[in-house]
Amino acid sequence: MFNFRKRLAAAIAAAAIAAIALSGCSGSAAGGGADGAAAGDGTLTIGTIVASTTFAANNAPWANESPYLQAVYDTLLHADPDGTVQPWLATDWSYNDDDTVLTMTLRDDVSFTDGTKFDASAAAQNLLRFRDGTSPQKGYLATLADAKALDATTLELTLSAPNPSLLSFLTQNPGLQQSPATFGAADEKTNPVGSGPYILDKGATVVGSTYVFTKNPDYWAPEQQHYAKLVMNVYTTPTAILNAIKGGQINGAPLTDNSMISQIEAAQYTSNGQQLNFFGLLLFDRDGSIAPELADVRVRQAINYAFDRDAMLTAIGQGYGDVTSSIFSPDSSGYDEDADQYYSYDPEKAKDLLAEAGYDDGDITLTMPTSSGFTPATYALTKQYLEDVGISVEEVNVAPTSFLGDLLAAKYASTVMQLKAAPTTWETLTLDLLPSAGWNPFHTEDATVAELASTIQSGSEDEAAAAAKELNRYIVEQAWFAPFYRPQQTYATDAHTSVETQTGNAYPYLWNFTPED
Amino acid sequence: MLSFIARRVASGVVLVLTISVIAFLLLYAGGGDIARRLLGEDATPETVAQKAHELGLDQPLIAQFANWVAGVLHGDFGTSWFTSQPVSDAILSRLSVTLSLVFGATVLIAIVSVVLGVLAATRRGWLDAAVQVLSLVGTAIPAFLIATGLVLVFAINLRWFTPTGYVQFAASPSGWLASVTLPVVALSLGGIAAVTQQIRGSMVDSLRHDYVRTLESRGLNRRTIVLQHVLRNAAGPGLAVLGVHFVGLLGGAVIIEQIFAIPGMGQVAVTATSQGDIPLVMGLVIATAILVVILNLLVDLAQGWLNPKVRLS
Repeated sequence: MFNFRKRLAAAIAAAAIAAIALSGCSGSAAGGGADGAAAGDGTLTIGTIVASTTFAANNAPWANESPYLQAVYDTLLHADPDGTVQPWLATDWSYNDDDTVLTMTLRDDVSFTDGTKFDASAAAQNLLRFRDGTSPQKGYLATLADAKALDATTLELTLSAPNPSLLSFLTQNPGLQQSPATFGAADEKTNPVGSGPYILDKGATVVGSTYVFTKNPDYWAPEQQHYAKLVMNVYTTPTAILNAIKGGQINGAPLTDNSMISQIEAAQYTSNGQQLNFFGLLLFDRDGSIAPELADVRVRQAINYAFDRDAMLTAIGQGYGDVTSSIFSPDSSGYDEDADQYYSYDPEKAKDLLAEAGYDDGDITLTMPTSSGFTPATYALTKQYLEDVGISVEEVNVAPTSFLGDLLAAKYASTVMQLKAAPTTWETLTLDLLPSAGWNPFHTEDATVAELASTIQSGSEDEAAAAAKELNRYIVEQAWFAPFYRPQQTYATDAHTSVETQTGNAYPYLWNFTPED
Repeated sequence: MLSFIARRVASGVVLVLTISVIAFLLLYAGGGDIARRLLGEDATPETVAQKAHELGLDQPLIAQFANWVAGVLHGDFGTSWFTSQPVSDAILSRLSVTLSLVFGATVLIAIVSVVLGVLAATRRGWLDAAVQVLSLVGTAIPAFLIATGLVLVFAINLRWFTPTGYVQFAASPSGWLASVTLPVVALSLGGIAAVTQQIRGSMVDSLRHDYVRTLESRGLNRRTIVLQHVLRNAAGPGLAVLGVHFVGLLGGAVIIEQIFAIPGMGQVAVTATSQGDIPLVMGLVIATAILVVILNLLVDLAQGWLNPKVRLS
């Protein structure tokens, strides 16, 4: 009679021993922290939430894909964490009198990793290709009429209209410099050739899940190379990011949900916060095309008075962030403290305004598109506050795949949404306020906004700054939006890594990751 | 035999074709504005239109499908819209990852359920009861719950394994084993439960047959009877359930791959489908359909090997 039981027990014991023995080897598998003894020798392993869609500079996105692009490419200019523009590939620049011609002096000691020299001709070609490409931010160079190389180190940009944010844009994807020898190459999108601090290691990279970069030995600014190797892992779910953090597998990652903060801090990670966006109601239909009641400023103001912003921040944002009545970022020239805190929680005043506008309890029904992108609690609370002042809400569920498209196609008069609070006033105008702005889907026009926009675009720095604040106050008083708060965007770093968050960008800039021991 | 295989291959081709048409239609029905999703909320409508034109999204449905089929017949499955990687590269590189998970789980299921099923059927008593209870529990608890629990205990608290990621076998066999152990275990628990029950049931049934008594009376020892004769007769239904489970494992791998951040076909299928990355999804659909067709064929052939009564000749 064979003794199966003994055999089974022996097998289980053997497996357990093997597992324990293997655990000793498991540490090497996923890459540790910055473990190099000397600065610049270690590996930085960071988490990202999207894979790289393309490495081709003319179609390059930014935001959550900025680390991929910053690893391999340089930009014409650099931005400090607070947004101040600094020289980089371009060492000097100046505008002509009416801000329509920008002349830039370029470095002459930079080459791409395939040996091609970086010069003004390469820079001009990169700019024009970006303007004509399909990057989400292609509109940043919409006013670039032409880019020319006057000589090897002098670049001239001609604009069809002044662009106050142009220099800031050249620190981002429009300023990326790809080797001209690779323009139109078959593998342009997956095999980048730039002049940047790192080189993509195609052998170790698993497209869509892990991107590995090694130090560029000939980089012209070695003081910015803090690591010998970069590993960027794509995590598609918040659970995976959390587990990677709890397991000590990564040096840094963005948190997609602030409820994770307590857990990552328990794992000895630091939460680095910044405010990138504003969250609240967008009151699109200010002309009253499909919702006539929204054309009355008193109705829009009433909506603003209806909300207890502190309670919304606590309930929906877990208290991480700052309440606000304005869509302007504290980093932009338009920031104004009075405008920022203009509306208080005053349901009585809201009801008075509605009565003044001629609407009784229940006369107004606001159609609110709902999406799985926001929690049910968000919609429930929004509805409750509006109903408390006599505005009924009709929820319409929209599939996540069509949500953005439908909103931008002016299908709905208003919506709950989270949008970028742009770091420059000109961006706020072009994104949200001008008749041509994408987030002004009904293309509402306003003479005051147009006049202020003109000053901001073409005026002197002081005139533009004053006009920006006036614009902020005007938009808030006219209640074009009903913002609730600016949520905190959090980036987690481990004990070995310190980082500085970048204003206006969801991801810190690569050179601001430094090892800490 | 050969004509059987040929017929199965032919019906497999028809199946793959039908599935591609259905998948294509479903993708378009649920597609929404893919160009907009690719470019995000800040892009201007002109940029979105330009991108849509570049991807061929402004053409009629039939034209897009025809273009895709034409490409496939030339062996060109297109390029992923969201990672710029050729679809065939994307699928082949991830196929080996998912297959290592799924085959690993299948092997584990086969071994463990045979052991447990035979034990339960031959020993009966408390062991049998324990195995049945465990099977019930294993079937009831969802795989993702088990996976999350395993990660918490073994990867985060005990640090025996890595909580996320996958190491190629070629790069480091020990690293590979460390990264696949938890996912494979999580994936197999449901299958173990089901197949164990099946094997136990058919073993108990087979042991009652007259031939067992005949063999005993001939002087064969119990172990030989159980392993060489009864098991072979009882294995048929078990194999059938295992075959069905293999296909289920391909689906279960989707969840497991997401939790463990493993770059397999399941993970890319979820991402590609939710983004509307049509070339990649179509490629995955075809790859999975072919895989299932081949698998069913292999299971049928294996059944034939086990049981001469169902062989075709």
